[in-house]
Amino acid sequence: MLGFVIQRFLQAVVVMAVMSVIVFCGVYAIGNPVDIVIPPDATQDIRAATIAKLGLDKPLWEQYFLFVGNLLQGDFGRSFVYNIPVLDLIGGRLPATLELVLTSVLTATVLGVSLGIYAGYRPDGWLAKTIMAVSVLGFSVPSFWVGLILILTFAVNLGWLPAGGRGATVTVLGVPWSFLTLDGLSHIVLPAINLALFKLAMMIRLARAGTREIMLTDTIKFARAAGISESVILRRHLLKLISIPIITVFGLELGSTLAFAVVTETIFSWPGVGKLIIDSIAVLDRPVMVAYLILVAFLFVTINFTVDLVFALIDPRVRAGARA
Amino acid sequence: MMLLRRFWAEFRENRIALAALVVVVLVSLLAVFAPLITPQNPYDMTGLSLMDARRPPGFVGSGGYTHLLGTDPQGRDLLSAILYGLRISIQIGLAAGLVALTIGATLGILAAYAGGRIEMLIMRVVDLQLSFPAILLALVLVALLGQGKAQLIGALVAAQYAYFARTAYGAATSERRKDYIEAARATPLAPSRVILRHLLPNCTPPLIVVATVQIANSISLEATLSFLGLGLPVTEPSLGMLISNGFPYMMSGRYWISVYPGVALIVLIVAINIVGDQIRDQFNPRLRK
Amino acid sequence: MKHMALLRPAAVALGMLAAGAASAQTLTMGVRGGPESLDPHFSALGSHAEAAKHIFDTLVWSGDDLQIEPGLAVSWEPVDEDTWEFKLREGVKFHDGSDFDAEDVKFSIERIPVVSGPTTTTIYVRRVKEVEIVDPLTMLIHTDGPAATLPYDFVRLFIVSSEAAADYSTPETAAEGFNSGMATIGTGPYKFVSWEPKGDLVLERFDDYWRGAGAWEKVIRKEMPNDSSRLAALKAGQVDVINYVSSVDYLALERDSSVDTIKGDSVYIMNLQLDQREDTPLVRAKDGSKLDANPFRDIKVREAIDAAIDRDTMVEIVLEGLGKPANQMMPVGFFGSNADIPMPEYNPAKAKDLLTEAGYPDGFEVDLYCTSDRLPGDGAICQGLGQMFSQIGITTNVNAVSKTVYFPAQSRLEYSMFMNGWGTLTGEASYTLGGLAHSNDPDVKLGAFNRIEYKNEDVDRLLEEGATMLDADQRRATYEEAMAKVMADKAYISVVQLQTVWAAKAGMLAFTPRFDEDTLAFFIKPAS
Repeated sequence: MLGFVIQRFLQAVVVMAVMSVIVFCGVYAIGNPVDIVIPPDATQDIRAATIAKLGLDKPLWEQYFLFVGNLLQGDFGRSFVYNIPVLDLIGGRLPATLELVLTSVLTATVLGVSLGIYAGYRPDGWLAKTIMAVSVLGFSVPSFWVGLILILTFAVNLGWLPAGGRGATVTVLGVPWSFLTLDGLSHIVLPAINLALFKLAMMIRLARAGTREIMLTDTIKFARAAGISESVILRRHLLKLISIPIITVFGLELGSTLAFAVVTETIFSWPGVGKLIIDSIAVLDRPVMVAYLILVAFLFVTINFTVDLVFALIDPRVRAGARA
Repeated sequence: MMLLRRFWAEFRENRIALAALVVVVLVSLLAVFAPLITPQNPYDMTGLSLMDARRPPGFVGSGGYTHLLGTDPQGRDLLSAILYGLRISIQIGLAAGLVALTIGATLGILAAYAGGRIEMLIMRVVDLQLSFPAILLALVLVALLGQGKAQLIGALVAAQYAYFARTAYGAATSERRKDYIEAARATPLAPSRVILRHLLPNCTPPLIVVATVQIANSISLEATLSFLGLGLPVTEPSLGMLISNGFPYMMSGRYWISVYPGVALIVLIVAINIVGDQIRDQFNPRLRK
Repeated sequence: MKHMALLRPAAVALGMLAAGAASAQTLTMGVRGGPESLDPHFSALGSHAEAAKHIFDTLVWSGDDLQIEPGLAVSWEPVDEDTWEFKLREGVKFHDGSDFDAEDVKFSIERIPVVSGPTTTTIYVRRVKEVEIVDPLTMLIHTDGPAATLPYDFVRLFIVSSEAAADYSTPETAAEGFNSGMATIGTGPYKFVSWEPKGDLVLERFDDYWRGAGAWEKVIRKEMPNDSSRLAALKAGQVDVINYVSSVDYLALERDSSVDTIKGDSVYIMNLQLDQREDTPLVRAKDGSKLDANPFRDIKVREAIDAAIDRDTMVEIVLEGLGKPANQMMPVGFFGSNADIPMPEYNPAKAKDLLTEAGYPDGFEVDLYCTSDRLPGDGAICQGLGQMFSQIGITTNVNAVSKTVYFPAQSRLEYSMFMNGWGTLTGEASYTLGGLAHSNDPDVKLGAFNRIEYKNEDVDRLLEEGATMLDADQRRATYEEAMAKVMADKAYISVVQLQTVWAAKAGMLAFTPRFDEDTLAFFIKPAS
C-alpha cells in the first residue's frame, strides 16, 4: 500500500511539474502583453522601460526558473494590471465563486436526485416524461443562452431580481459572504439557477438510470415478494444503493462546476475567479492566467490522487493492477 | 444488414426520437443547401445595405424581398444569416467531432491493445484530462492559439478526444480479456488485423453514442466560446456569434436578432441529443426487456 | 426612418420633479471601468484617472471642454526656453489635515517613474528634467528643451501626500499602501473608505475641500463592465447614474420617461488609415494578382475612398444617432483644430469616376482591419465601411479583430487599410498631429504612431516648429495649418466622432457632460 501511495504521489508531482512547464510556456507564447497593456501612444523608451520592469526582457527559461523559484516559496508573482500579489487577487474572489458553486451544486443534487428517483421509479408516467424532457433541455441548451433568457425575463421584463453583480456581504471568519443577507440572496438566485441547470440535468439522469437498474435487481424483487412496503424499499435499499455513485459524482462535479462558473460569472458579472480569468485573458495578465491554471491543475491532480487512494483502499485489485 | 434493420425498426418506435432525427436531417439539409435557398449571401458585402439594418420580421428590404426573420445590425437577412451560421456551426461540430473520434479511438484502442507502459501513459493522460473541464481547456487553448476556424477546431478536439479514448479503451479492454484475442495475439497474425477485425467493431456502438453527444457538445461549446468573444471573426458569424451580436439589442426590444439564432441553435442541439439518447438506450443491453 | 434625437443643451437640469426623489445623501454610480489600483500614479488608463480624481487633485485642471484651468496650481508661465514656473494654491488641506505644499508636488513627480505600472503614467512627466522648490508655494520645473505643452501634460499629474505615501513608494509597497487606505490621502473632494478590485469604491465627503464641500455625503462607485447589466441596474434602482449607455439602447432610453439621458461629445474620432509605402501587403487585384503599385499612393484613389463614405448613414444607422460626421482628426474647437475644413461629400458616382481615372475601372481588393472591442461601435463602423467600399467596386474583406491582435500587428506595419479610434485626450493638437501626422522620427520624438509612413515635408516642418513655440496664438495658427494640409492629403480619413451618453434616474441629477467622458461625483449635483 505504501509503495502504491508513493508511486501515485510521484506521478502527481511529475504531472504538476509538466503542467507548470506547459502552462507557463503556453501562456507566455501568446501575444506580447506589453502591446496590450501599454497605451497605443506610448513611446519606444517607455515601452522598453516597461518590458524591463515586467521582467519580459529575460529569456523564457530564466523567466520560468524565476517563476518556479518564487512559486516554491508560495509566491505566484504580481498581476501586471493590478500590481498586487496574484494570490491575494484570486483569494479575494474565491469566496464569491465558492458560494455560487456550492449553492448550485447542492441545489442541483438535492433536486436532481429526488426528481431522478421519481423518474426512474415511474418511468412511464407523464411526470417522469416531463422531468426527462427538462433534463434533455438542461443538458442541451448552452448555459450562456439560459443565462441571457433568465436575465431578460426576471431582471429586465419582470424586474424581480437583479441582473448581475454580487449583493451586500456579511463578514464571517474574516471572509465576506453574500448568501447571509437578503440582498445577497436576491443576487445569487439567477446565477445559481443558471449554473445549476446542467448539473441538475446530469443528477436527474444519474439518479434515474441508477433507480431503473436497481429496481430491476433481484434484491428489490425479493424485497417486494417479501411484502416490504414500497416506501421502505425506496428508503432502505434504493437510496442507499444509488448514493455511492452520486456522492462520487458530487465530489468530481464540484471541480468542474468551478470551471463552468467562468461562463455564468461572465454573464452575470459575478465578481468571482471565473470572471477574473476571462478579464485576465482579455488583457493578457500573464501572472494571473498562469496562477489560475496551475491552481486548477493542482486542484484536479489532488482530487484524482485522493480518488485513487480511496479506491485503492476499497478495492485491492487496483493496487495489484498498479504494480503490473 | 439485419442488425441495422432491427435497430432502425426499434428506433422508429420512439416517435420523439424519430421526430428529432427528422429535424436533424432537415436542418442539415437546409444548412448544406443554404446558398441555393437563402435570398441573400450574408457574407457578400456588396449585397448588404445599411439602410436595411435592424428591421423587424416581415420587413421588405431594399432587395425587394421580405425578411421573414428580420435583419441584423449590418442589414443582413437574418434567415440567411442563420442558415449560413448553421453551416459553420455544423461544419465545426462535425470536423471537431470526427477528428476527436479518430484520435481518441486510436489512442484508446492502442492503449488497450498494447498494454503495459503505453497503456498506463495514455490512460493516465486521458483520465487527467477527463477530470479537467472541457470548457476551460478550450477557452485557454483558443486564447493561446488565436482566432480562426482551424484554431477553434483544434481547441475543441483537444478538449474532447479524451472522451472517445476512454470509451474506446473501455470497450476494447473488455474484449481483449476474452480468450480468443489472447490466442490471436499469440499467433503471428498481424496486430492490425486483430485491431481492425475484432477490437474496432466492438468499440463502434459506444463510440457512435459518444460521437453524437460530442458533436452536439462541440456545437454548443463553439457557441459559448463565440459568445465569450473567443470564437470566430464577426464577419462570418456562426450561430453563437449571431446570438452574441444580437444580445445587446434585447433590452431595447429588438429581440429577433438574438432570439431566432438562439432558437435555431437549441433546436439543433436538442434534436441531436434526443437522437443520441435513443441510440444509447438501444445499445444498453441492461435496459432491454 | 429614425429621427436623430434632439441634442439637449450642454448643461441640463434633469427634470423638475425632484421633490422627495432621494435623500441626496448617497450617490451610487454604475461605471464601466475602474481603477487598477488606488495609487493614482499606477496607471494612465482613463477610468483609473477618473476614479483618482475623486480622491486626489491635479496640478492643472482640465475643464469640461478640456480647456486648462487652475487646479492645485493657480498660475504657470514659461520663464525661459526650458523652465516653467508654477505658483501653488494656498491653504489647501490633505484629508489627514496636513497642509499641501511644493514638497508634495516634487515628491509626486519623482515618485511616478518608480511606481508606474505598464499603462504608464511616465508620459505625464516625460519632459521634466528637474523639479526645483523656490518656496513652499512656488516651484520651477526644468524641462529637456522647450516644452510648450507641459501644462497639458500635468492635467493628470495627481498630487499625493509626501508624508502619508513616504513608505509606500516602491513597486512592491505602493499597491498595498494605497489599496488599504493608509497612503490614500489626497486633497480631493472625497475621502477613501474602501475598495475592491473590479468592485466597489466607497468614498466619504471631505468637508475641508478647497472648492467647497461636495453635495453627497457618501459616494459609491460600482464597476459594472457589461453595458446591459449596468443599464438594468439603473432601471432596477440599484444605481443612480450610469456612464457609457450603449448606442444600442440609446433611442429606446430617450423615450423612457423614468430615465434621463445626457449626451456629450467624446474626444474619440474614428480614423481610416491608408498605407503610403511603395509596397503594401494586403492590397491586390480582384483576380488575386499583385498590383503594379500601391493604389493608396494615388490621391485620386484616396479621394474616391473618401467620397464613398456615407457619414450620415454611419451616424444614423450604425451608431443609431450616437455620433457626428467627422472631417478632421480632432473635435472642432480643440486647440489647433481647423473650423474651415469642409465636410467631405458622399458621392459614390464621383468615387467610381475617380477610380477609373486612377486606372482602376474595375476596382481592386483590400483587407480592412479594425478593432472590434475597444470603442463603442468600432466593429460595426468597420463593417459599414466595408459595405460602402464594396459598392464602388473595391472588394473589401472586413476583419474586425480584438485590440489584443490589432495593435501589435498595426505597430508591425502589417496592415494596408485600417481603422481605429484616436482620442485627443490632452485637448490640443500636438498630441494628435505630432503622434500621427509627422513622419516617424525618433530624433525629434515625433510621428511615433504614424503607422502608414505618411510624409509631407510641409507638415513635418510645421509640426517641428509648433512643438517649440511658446507663444500660444502662433502655435494655434501653425497647428491649424498643419491640420488642413493633413486632411487634404486624405491618407488619414476621419469618419465619425463618437458621442457618449450618461443616464440617470428621472429628475434626480444635474450635470454637464465632460469631453474626456469622466463621471465625477463632485460635479454631479442633485437636481433642485
